Amino acid sequence: MTEYEVLLQQTINGLSLGAMYALLALGFTLVYGILELINFAHFNVFMVASFIGMWALQLFGVSGQTRILTGAALAGVLAFAFVVTMAAAGVIGVAIERLSLRPLRGVRGTAAMITTIGVNYILFNAILLTVGAGSENYPNPLPVVRWQFGHVIVELKEVLIWVVAVVLMVALHLFVNHTRLGKAMRATAQDGEAARMMGVDVDRIIVIAFFLGSALAGAAALIFGLYYNYTSFIVGYTVGLRAFTAAVLGGIGSITGAMVGGLLIGLIETLGGQLIAVRWTDVIIFSILVLVLVVVPSGLFGRSNPQKS
Amino acid sequence: MWSRRSVIISLSATALAGTLTSHGARVLAGEKSVKIGINLPFTGADAHDAELIKDGAMLAIDEANSAGGIAGYKIDVLLLDDGTATAGQYDPAQAATNARKMVGDDAVVAAIGPQMSGSGKAMSPILSQGGLATITPSSTNPDITNPRFAAQYRPAGKAIYFRTVTTDAFQGPNMANYFADTLKVRSVYVLDDSGAYGVGLADAFQAQAKRRGLDVLGRDQLNPKETDYTTTLTKIKALNPQALYFGGVAQAGVKVVKESFDIIPNVLKGGGDGVYAAEILRGAGFPAAQGWYVTIAAPNVLENPDAAPMMERFAKKYGQQPDNYSITAYDAALVILDAIRRLAAAGGPVTRDAVRDAIQQSHVKTLQGEISFDANGDIANRVISVFQITRNDKYPLDDVLHQYKYIGVAPASS
Repeated sequence: MTEYEVLLQQTINGLSLGAMYALLALGFTLVYGILELINFAHFNVFMVASFIGMWALQLFGVSGQTRILTGAALAGVLAFAFVVTMAAAGVIGVAIERLSLRPLRGVRGTAAMITTIGVNYILFNAILLTVGAGSENYPNPLPVVRWQFGHVIVELKEVLIWVVAVVLMVALHLFVNHTRLGKAMRATAQDGEAARMMGVDVDRIIVIAFFLGSALAGAAALIFGLYYNYTSFIVGYTVGLRAFTAAVLGGIGSITGAMVGGLLIGLIETLGGQLIAVRWTDVIIFSILVLVLVVVPSGLFGRSNPQKS
Repeated sequence: MWSRRSVIISLSATALAGTLTSHGARVLAGEKSVKIGINLPFTGADAHDAELIKDGAMLAIDEANSAGGIAGYKIDVLLLDDGTATAGQYDPAQAATNARKMVGDDAVVAAIGPQMSGSGKAMSPILSQGGLATITPSSTNPDITNPRFAAQYRPAGKAIYFRTVTTDAFQGPNMANYFADTLKVRSVYVLDDSGAYGVGLADAFQAQAKRRGLDVLGRDQLNPKETDYTTTLTKIKALNPQALYFGGVAQAGVKVVKESFDIIPNVLKGGGDGVYAAEILRGAGFPAAQGWYVTIAAPNVLENPDAAPMMERFAKKYGQQPDNYSITAYDAALVILDAIRRLAAAGGPVTRDAVRDAIQQSHVKTLQGEISFDANGDIANRVISVFQITRNDKYPLDDVLHQYKYIGVAPASS
């Protein structure tokens, strides 16, 4: 492989990683945009969703890489798995909001954020105690299809990640910017109090934000599993932290910011690892984050909102 | 679910059995009891393999108890878990806490474990201060018993960290010899999982590989909690090495096996006893695991006819096949039981100090042959066995006994 080919390959790897981070970052950003709350439970909503996706695939007798599907069967199984995973993750998100955050709605300070950390641990231990601590050989029905350009390889599973990510992000963009509900969301994000006075059902908007954010985490979790053929009860932490960083880098609260931030973090991770050293990945990522925040405190695409009361 | 619940159940069961028997025994016949501490990571990525080790040790202990104990002593067990959810695998901090628990329990006269060298490094100084000997059936980092680091790992002076396996001072270099001599590898890339064991093993392999004239194209360190190793593996692919050597345990190992199969399928791959694990077969599975060359720091006893009866009893009792480290754990228990037996026979008190000294002077016939230790606690026998993961459809695909095919002994350095 030439130097050029290696960098190209790392860029492809980075785009796949970045697409996952972006989908996950959107969940942080949607909730933050509405509630100004950092939802740390999102880390393990992702992890739990990866198991739900696994069980959904296993319903079709797909276990490990032993059962390869093609054509309509593949499309059907994948569509089913995505719908089930996203819906289940969305429901978990909504449940978290209803059970643990709504009662704290009026409480000032960090109580709600700390609560999300607690919920994060509950989800973590729920999987640890029920499923166990082993690594799962994630079911993957995708045939191994590779396109080779010189020494650079693009795999079917990578194309799948990109397609899913782009479709979901476009759908989210259309929803937020071109529907009545989306308009209500934007209004609530700008000023919840005023939105309420104008007749927006803010509680419903919050539920929708949690549902959408968690459903996107569900999609990210399923493509994560299909990409690495792996999941375990610990996967929420590293992936979640990177995604959170992506949301902050892009400007937390900004949907475009989360998408761009995710891709950037993915690319920084792979290209930084290639050009410097993989063990410095976190140092590189967080140095860039600090630099960006020093120059643009609200992140790349963040709005500097007037302080809400 | 399985491992943790079973730990809790067996913990309470042993505790219960312990109180009942020692109590009842004292009332009935004035019998005495002593305790053996067992510390293994039952939580996390190595839980399944920890279970296999525990079962090996428990088989020996249970059999001794049901034969009426050792010279009048019932053997109780203090079972401790040094794996934590936060670490997702063994956790040296928890291991240190467990070492203090063992030392704090006066009835504990010897210990078995830990599975992992990272835990061993944390436990050894504490056990040394407490004068409590432990026998590890699987932790292979040489520093712990190296006299050069005695001030750090055995500040109280005497050797307390005994092993029924040899160390990475042989496991790494002998595999480098095997790469050079038998596999005729000329270039290699080395990875480790940033744990005490992984780094040490990879260092030892790398140094000998260089000495043998192999071209070491690079060395990188993986974060075991990270999922994505594609960046590192793409980097390796660009360097086009003939072989990859991985020093580390299952948490990183599963992902290395999977992702390297995807990105560098044609590179020859090898690792140490961290890759000799049911977890690798279960988590990475086939076809990814197929073809890996793996060593263990002990002779391969599983195909030895002397071991057959024990393996049969093991399989009958626990419903699964033992692996080689179930056997080294069984042997570790035999060594401790033998030490207690000799002390009791000589009429002396069975104290920690006495048990330690008795272990030090062991010449015990075990499944892997006669076990004796040098002044640092290392086993005299220094055999490194090589296996290759070879799919065998006649047996369960996570059965270490049948999916790791024994190849032979790795050549020692001259």
